[in-house]
Amino acid sequence: MDAAKKPVTRRNEAIGIALWAAGFAIPAFASSSWVAIAAMFAIFAITALSEDVILGRGGMFDMGHAVYFGIGAYTTAILNTELGVPIFLTVPAAVLLAAGTGTLLAAPLIRLRGDYLLVATIGFNAIFVLAMQNNPGGITGGSDGITGIEAPSLFGIPLFSQSAMFWLDWVVLGLVLFLMRNLDRCEFGRALRYLKQDELAATTLGVDARAVKTLAFAVGAGLAGLAGTLFAVQLSTVSPSSFVFTESVTLFAIVIVGGPGSIPGVLLGTALMFVVPEIFRDFAQYRYFVFGIAMIAVMVLRPQGLWPRRRNGL
Amino acid sequence: MTLLAIDDLSVAYGEIEALKGVSLTVEKGEVVAILGANGAGKTTLMRAVSGLLPKRRGRIVFDGADITRASADRIVHLGIAQSPEGRRVFGTLTVAENLALGGFTRPPREIAGSIDNVYAMFPRLAERRAQLAGTLSGGEQQMLAIGRALIAKPKLLLLDEPSLGLAPIIVQGIFRTLREIAASGVTILIVEQNVRSALKLADRGYVLEIGRMVHADSAANLLASPEVQQAYLGKAKA
Repeated sequence: MDAAKKPVTRRNEAIGIALWAAGFAIPAFASSSWVAIAAMFAIFAITALSEDVILGRGGMFDMGHAVYFGIGAYTTAILNTELGVPIFLTVPAAVLLAAGTGTLLAAPLIRLRGDYLLVATIGFNAIFVLAMQNNPGGITGGSDGITGIEAPSLFGIPLFSQSAMFWLDWVVLGLVLFLMRNLDRCEFGRALRYLKQDELAATTLGVDARAVKTLAFAVGAGLAGLAGTLFAVQLSTVSPSSFVFTESVTLFAIVIVGGPGSIPGVLLGTALMFVVPEIFRDFAQYRYFVFGIAMIAVMVLRPQGLWPRRRNGL
Repeated sequence: MTLLAIDDLSVAYGEIEALKGVSLTVEKGEVVAILGANGAGKTTLMRAVSGLLPKRRGRIVFDGADITRASADRIVHLGIAQSPEGRRVFGTLTVAENLALGGFTRPPREIAGSIDNVYAMFPRLAERRAQLAGTLSGGEQQMLAIGRALIAKPKLLLLDEPSLGLAPIIVQGIFRTLREIAASGVTILIVEQNVRSALKLADRGYVLEIGRMVHADSAANLLASPEVQQAYLGKAKA
């Protein structure tokens, strides 16, 4: 049966890789504003995939994911503007700080179920935004945030152009997609899936629920931190308003609307949330009206998500 | 040799004490049955042994190690596997995948042989190995839950109500296989409402009533005891 399933998986993967490779050509024909949109798509796709580790695969209601995204962005911004650390060297700090925060916040909350965890994570998000606004130690720049983040440079060549930034984001997205694909197959990914389906049964079979769930938070938060670095670079500025509660809600909705645990689903959800509104820019504020209606329709008509995860086993 | 010793165990859900100072022992190679009505605390006892519930008082010693505060996954590593109440198979995984999952704590290359043994024991599972567990009948799911627990190669197998919701003929078949499993040397602690089947399988039995052990005797004596007969086997007082 596994043998019957594999060709389809392989074909889908081949299509995915081809689409990703074709994506590199976007700057060749798209206007610079569309290249910027494509770059933002890549950044938010990474963030949404990172939320999917916790919410989609782990089944844990993380409604404060913008915190980890924000920690990554602020880490890069502060290290770069205050200490002059080159962008690429801020990445390990951004990832580790976000992952560490995720682990620390998750540890006491891991036993909370569904709605309780959701409310607690909203609390974290509120605290984070408030902390950034209050400019602790004079390093976060308060409500205005931090400006003047440098462009990253690779082998001494600064990636100033919009296209170069896009390519960078696209490469990172490819790496994250590869990681997510392997997550499905490794022991951690499987354990997470069993826990989501039936925690008691998984535990009686020897799955360490606490360790696996905490690791899910660490991985999800770390990847969000990585996306945060890209975000800070893309906008060359960070401010608290980019990491407010509604951003967390959007990330949460992307996963649920797109299809929890499904890579194409999450990518589709990201496109709908960030790219489609750009197309309807002319409709100004009405675009979110249409968007809200669409979300409701999906939940009513297709509760499993637009592109649900295909059943897959070990 | 005593494999499992529970001493004065109390477990509470909030204010409500579900187990009030329960003690029991299971010797190596034995089959021990715990009998009792709904709400007696049978499932609570099983979950406490598996490390799924915090203990208020008492001690659980398994194979010489104190496991009172051990985590659930640690307890599986030490050699206790449970087939939980209500079967709890993974409905979206196939039979084969569910069985492989039973070997989560073991090196992957050792599992295949154990899975073959389970197929030999339950030929129905072999026939349905590629089928999703959620589409199996209740009896087949129960076989799968027992088989899955066996893949962990436990020293002690906990069975929580294997007859639950199954037709009598299926229950007979399951108990026949349990007898084979016991004969192969696996120590079994079984919780049952189906008192007659459980006592025919077991060497010894305990009777649990609202959180307390009220009887402990050999299975034969319990089967013959007027009190047990009246309370659980539906025989009127002579």
